[in-house]
Amino acid sequence: MDRRSVNEEGLTLSEISRERPEAGPETIERGDVSSGQGDSALGMKIENLSAFYGSFKAVTDVNIDLRANKVTALIGPSGCGKSTFIRCLNRMHEVITGARAEGCVKLGEQDIYGKGVDPVRIRRRIGMVFQKPNPFSKSIYENVAWGARINGYKGDMDELVERSLRQAALWDEVKDRLKQSGMGLSGGQQQRLVIARTLAVEPEVILMDEPASALDPVSTQKIEDTMAELKKRYTVVIVTHNMQQAARISDYTGFFYIENMGDPGRLWEFDETSKMFSAPERKETEDYVTGRFG
Amino acid sequence: MPREIFQRELNHLVEEVVELGQEVESCLGTMAEALEKHDDETARQELGIDSRYKERGVEIDEECMILQARQAPVASDLRLIYTVQAVTNHLVRAGTLCEHICRAIVETAGCDRDPDLEATLSEMAHAARNLFREGLDIFENRDVDRARDLEAADDKIDLFYSEAMNLAVNPGKGEAGDPEWRVRAALTVHYLERIADHGVDIGRRTVFLVTGERMESAMSQYRNRQIEGYDE
Repeated sequence: MDRRSVNEEGLTLSEISRERPEAGPETIERGDVSSGQGDSALGMKIENLSAFYGSFKAVTDVNIDLRANKVTALIGPSGCGKSTFIRCLNRMHEVITGARAEGCVKLGEQDIYGKGVDPVRIRRRIGMVFQKPNPFSKSIYENVAWGARINGYKGDMDELVERSLRQAALWDEVKDRLKQSGMGLSGGQQQRLVIARTLAVEPEVILMDEPASALDPVSTQKIEDTMAELKKRYTVVIVTHNMQQAARISDYTGFFYIENMGDPGRLWEFDETSKMFSAPERKETEDYVTGRFG
Repeated sequence: MPREIFQRELNHLVEEVVELGQEVESCLGTMAEALEKHDDETARQELGIDSRYKERGVEIDEECMILQARQAPVASDLRLIYTVQAVTNHLVRAGTLCEHICRAIVETAGCDRDPDLEATLSEMAHAARNLFREGLDIFENRDVDRARDLEAADDKIDLFYSEAMNLAVNPGKGEAGDPEWRVRAALTVHYLERIADHGVDIGRRTVFLVTGERMESAMSQYRNRQIEGYDE
């Protein structure tokens, strides 16, 4: 199976099993999925992170603090390494053959690339939503319950499914058809279903790679409203090409940029979103956000 | 260059503001001349001019609103539109104050006047006009360094204000002028001080336009840089 295509659609259970290291220190989990979690999430600290595809360095020396309970938007031209970077944040990057990351990525105080750290557990704590909604061909209920079930969830599954769907702002639209296929939902609903599925395993951080780029304005607005709610409980990182979306929903914005053709992408500027969209420090950022780029 | 049409629209917007500014500045020149020469006929030319300025101000405001709705400006584009709106507001208000002064000149043409107070008024009118013109020129040329000097120039206006108000309250014996003229003169002092303030704020807005910082913050950083340089 093509590893890259799997990565686009999320890992399968069998692949997750294959990736588990033999042994490793157990990490501090966010509460227990059976008891629900508090409102405070963990932030992430990234130091000198570089990402490679084989010998090609795609991203270099990224240093950034992703603050807890905030939305951080990553913007930049195509090919500048945003998606590569975000995939490094939950060790999804390394599932591509030949791909690797160097540097330090901390979730709270724990280095997620530390020796013996289980990448599968990391991905449970740092969930990801992709550009294209990828529900399973199962019922709406099972889509949400799946992640918790394979993680050995023993609590009230009905309650967990309802809570997750409510957090994803989808409950009211699907509560009367939970047994119907998730594939029958609209694109916007499917994307919120995937968000609910991500939330059901109660992560600390939610990574979103252009989650609304394929959606109509109404669905996009619902996703954005959902994100505003999610940040109260989670740390959210979103890659987006929509400048106005970044300006609307994020607290912090990072601009990725490639200075010269063939160079690796860099985090060119990072600041509060209000600053980045009113008075960015660097000319390249200014040119990009005002549409004078290229 | 990408967004050429938007850039043209922004350029056109600035041209309109500069044009309005030149008209208001010309009105200020007429007012200062009328004050200096006790020329009510010259002042009469400007009566009612403020309604035209207000109309132009509304037009520019609408253009700004449409540009914001259609182009979703950010960063320097957003600051420009924000600044244009603020500067336009200053221009319209300064124009209105200028018209008030011209009306006062016309309506007190036959009154006795206090020569000392009148001389101070004339001097203050020229100073206020110069400061206003400087603010406008700074905006047109985005000259942040000159904006910093405006604050000092405004101190001079404040001195004129104190001097004129002192004369208005404590007139010389036998040269106080008619009460109506004296009241209008005191109001004129106040209007001139406000006109100068509008000029100073146009300069401040230009600092924000260029640097993205408020004048007060920019000044503070500028001073700190100077101190650091001195320490070295």
